[in-house]
Amino acid sequence: MNLNEQDPARQNSFTRRTFLFSAGITTLFGGVALRLAQLQLKEYDHYVELARENQFNRQVISPLRGEIVDRFGKVIATNKKNFRVLLIPERTADVDETLIALSKIIEISDDKRDRIKRQIRRRGVFTPIEIADNLDWETFSKINIEVPYLPGILPEEGRTRDYPLGNGTAFVVGYVGAPTDRDLKAEPTANARNLLRQPGFKVGREGLERRYDEELRGKAGEKLVKVNAHGRVIEELDEGLQKAKQGDRLALTIDSELQMAAMEALGDNSGSAVVMDVKTGEILVLASTPAFDPNNFNVGIDPVLWRDLNADPTKPLVNKPLSGVYPPGSTFKLISAIAAQKSGISPNFRVRCRGSIRFGKNTHRCWKRGGHGTMNMRDAIKNSCDVFFYEVAKQLDIDLLAETARDFGLGQVFEIGIPGQRKGIVPDRAWKKEYFANSPENQQWFAGETLSVIIGQGAVTSTPLQLAVMTARLASGRAVRPTLVRGVGERAVPILEAPLIGVDGDALNVVHDGMNAVVNELGGTARRARLENTETLLAGKTGTSQVASLQRDPKTGRILKNEELPWRLRDHALFVSFAPVDNPRYASVIVVEHGQSGSRAAAPIAKKVMDAVMEKDPALKKPYDPSVLAGLSSASSPSGEGS
Amino acid sequence: MSSILLQNPQKGLRDRIVRINWILVLLLSLLATAGMTTLYSVAGGDWNPWALKHGIRYGVSLILLLGIGLVSIRFWMKISYPIYFFALAALAAVPLIGVTRLGAQRWLEFGGLQFQPSEVMKIGLVMALARYYHGLRTDQVSHIIYLIPPLIMIGAPVGLVFIQPDLGTGILLGSTGLAIVFVAGLSWRIGFLGAVGALLAGYAAYWFDILKPYQIERILTFMNPERDPLGKGYHLTQSKIAIGSGGVNGKGYLEGTQSQLKFLPELQTDFIFTIFGEEFGFVGALGLLFLYLFIILTAVGVALKAKSHFGRLVTIGVCATFSLYALINTGMVMGLAPVVGVPLPLVSYGGTVMVTIMAGFGLVMSAHIYYDK
Repeated sequence: MNLNEQDPARQNSFTRRTFLFSAGITTLFGGVALRLAQLQLKEYDHYVELARENQFNRQVISPLRGEIVDRFGKVIATNKKNFRVLLIPERTADVDETLIALSKIIEISDDKRDRIKRQIRRRGVFTPIEIADNLDWETFSKINIEVPYLPGILPEEGRTRDYPLGNGTAFVVGYVGAPTDRDLKAEPTANARNLLRQPGFKVGREGLERRYDEELRGKAGEKLVKVNAHGRVIEELDEGLQKAKQGDRLALTIDSELQMAAMEALGDNSGSAVVMDVKTGEILVLASTPAFDPNNFNVGIDPVLWRDLNADPTKPLVNKPLSGVYPPGSTFKLISAIAAQKSGISPNFRVRCRGSIRFGKNTHRCWKRGGHGTMNMRDAIKNSCDVFFYEVAKQLDIDLLAETARDFGLGQVFEIGIPGQRKGIVPDRAWKKEYFANSPENQQWFAGETLSVIIGQGAVTSTPLQLAVMTARLASGRAVRPTLVRGVGERAVPILEAPLIGVDGDALNVVHDGMNAVVNELGGTARRARLENTETLLAGKTGTSQVASLQRDPKTGRILKNEELPWRLRDHALFVSFAPVDNPRYASVIVVEHGQSGSRAAAPIAKKVMDAVMEKDPALKKPYDPSVLAGLSSASSPSGEGS
Repeated sequence: MSSILLQNPQKGLRDRIVRINWILVLLLSLLATAGMTTLYSVAGGDWNPWALKHGIRYGVSLILLLGIGLVSIRFWMKISYPIYFFALAALAAVPLIGVTRLGAQRWLEFGGLQFQPSEVMKIGLVMALARYYHGLRTDQVSHIIYLIPPLIMIGAPVGLVFIQPDLGTGILLGSTGLAIVFVAGLSWRIGFLGAVGALLAGYAAYWFDILKPYQIERILTFMNPERDPLGKGYHLTQSKIAIGSGGVNGKGYLEGTQSQLKFLPELQTDFIFTIFGEEFGFVGALGLLFLYLFIILTAVGVALKAKSHFGRLVTIGVCATFSLYALINTGMVMGLAPVVGVPLPLVSYGGTVMVTIMAGFGLVMSAHIYYDK
């Protein structure tokens, strides 16, 4: 076979085609060269900028959340170190692969993976996402060692909210939580939204944390960092550094020591304790039991725990002093006594109690079957005689009674910085008309109803905070308003002297005298509440508010005793008090849900709380000045840290 | 007396060595040096793990090139069909007894030795087509009947490669085959009708799900890289940033911020042009493109001078493969072509492709040495 070309036509054709082929290839290389010129010459500026952005990152410095302290500067809410792991989706080759690799060190449930991927979709691939926090040092170190094999994973030391008193102050401060999409939408500026997107950034969810979220949040800083493709910061640059400013420090009127004493005194009961300064209205104790631990909430609450808390009949998520409404029971007789005197009924008005009276077709019973005998107003308070007040009710206009109740703080919400307060009901003619707006035949007020209301039953309801205000106003004769916040940052909340309530001093003295007798006189209904740690005398009034109407045994038809009923149907126990009797300074309210008897369940708790209060006498101790506090906070806490 | 030498030039090894095209060797070596230099930079200024090994591999491959080049072109023509059918059989065996690596079945194993049949086929197809057209007369070449065998010869391996799946190699084999058919003298009329038909077939393939989802994904990503910043589009975006920010003179050797800060993964293989462009700028990258073009045009010169039709067509086939590698790769990292996983020949790190390319240039050398006069 001869390999040499013997076909000139074929060779010519090949040569032509080869030139065409070469021309084609050269043209294609020309095209590539043009593209190169486009990228490197024409669009150079654009890509240089992108490369810079790749290399240099503006990072938001999350501000530290402001602390919350009690009246003496003791910390109730602060920030503690928190080892956490972030994921920067943009820096991973594959999010799933990275998460699988990471799950060899920390557990990542399917739920969590779904949540992470949802967040990536919502927030974009450039925003770091918190995968886990509150890690122990060992796990955190393991992740740090493995980081080269975990693209996109960023271990970081951050800060998390800490409530050193745990459930003791849960209902005062509330708690924080991760911002939701709704929170993001509510922010007006892009900067604020950006801050909310920072990993580990929390917003106030409940209580003061929610109400004062803006003040507590602080001001974000900014820094310029040089990063590599893994998002690892190679260098932090000094230029363009703007330190973050910690949020304002919130100073409360709460005395955390007394708060904890009250929590302990309430114990396992489902109940409330409120202590107020009757002169200033400052709330010293605002306790609710059982309480949740807010430290469990700021890291994202476990769904099982959440379900349990919601299903619990003792309602550990309800802030009972503000959101629990109870018939005031016999504590309302204090209002009734004032209203009676306002309507012209003399404190020396006498009634003979035989255990019940008939009014119209109905028999109204006194709590004491055998009756109290002859009672004047003071003794009627001392013995909590129902019949005396029934007789008063016959002469008393319901609208005057209601007006008096409102003057003393019932039926209204006091803005103390905690959302979710209930108003309660102070019934009168107008109320009934409105209540039965759709059935005009029921709109008329019957005198018999006044007999129920005057002893604190029927439609009348109140919150423990309202009862505390009532007691404080009865004690001081001034229209004090409750406050919970003494200062925000350097701004002190001014305490103005409350105006006189416009009730004759003698009228108040009758009530004081009666309340003194309740505790300190032989035969008083709350002898158990006598203070023992100091010489101070306490004045008080018991209350037992009916939860269910009388229950009968289905077989015998016998009326069941309260202790025979299921827990949820038993009566609530109340006790309102103030001390010292001669120069009132502190008012307290104890409510024990389904505690059956004010004198047996509530009064002993009140005694413990007021013993602690009188022993410490916090009103006489100098509280910290919020402006001094603000100075302290900026000097002692490392602002500009975090994130 | 010199005519005696010219009559039997293939007889003396010394004469053959004298006839070696040293310009081609020099240009290829320059390219491999550019590869080593860049790999040194990719490793952050280290001969390991890539640069040194790349150099050694090039040296070994160069010996292979010269070895093949010094063997008579007759011999290569004789074993053209056997090589092709061996490669075809091996390709067919891949789905049955192949080894899966990185999600695709491309490898065969013989007694601990692994090889990619698709790489052998790159040479085998070129040789078989050249062998086929060597035996045809001019009038036969333009006849449609004689177009059927080469189309089957191209279609069979391309089909087998596509099902592996290996889109890049499929495109490479198909395009190289068609380039040879064109240069061999395909009639313009048939060529035009074929092109129209291919466009329609491509359209149909899109509509009837013939491509694997990841292949469609790649093509779609190519069309809009910002679509999926975490997928392949991320690489393309970062690659364009790196090249674009290189500017006229580049950021300097070992100074490429995008590359050195690891914004781009696997720089040593498919994206090596990126770091080259970033560090050496427009001047350097354009120089590299010219180097490729010089090599191709040098080989084209060999083809034009070669006396055997087989030698010419083999040379053009190798040129086609080589230029397609370079064009697809550079086009790919700059967003002109889909990211299909084609390395930059002799510059990217990777032994298999280097052996294929150098063996191909061995055939070019053989065609150059043997004037057959």
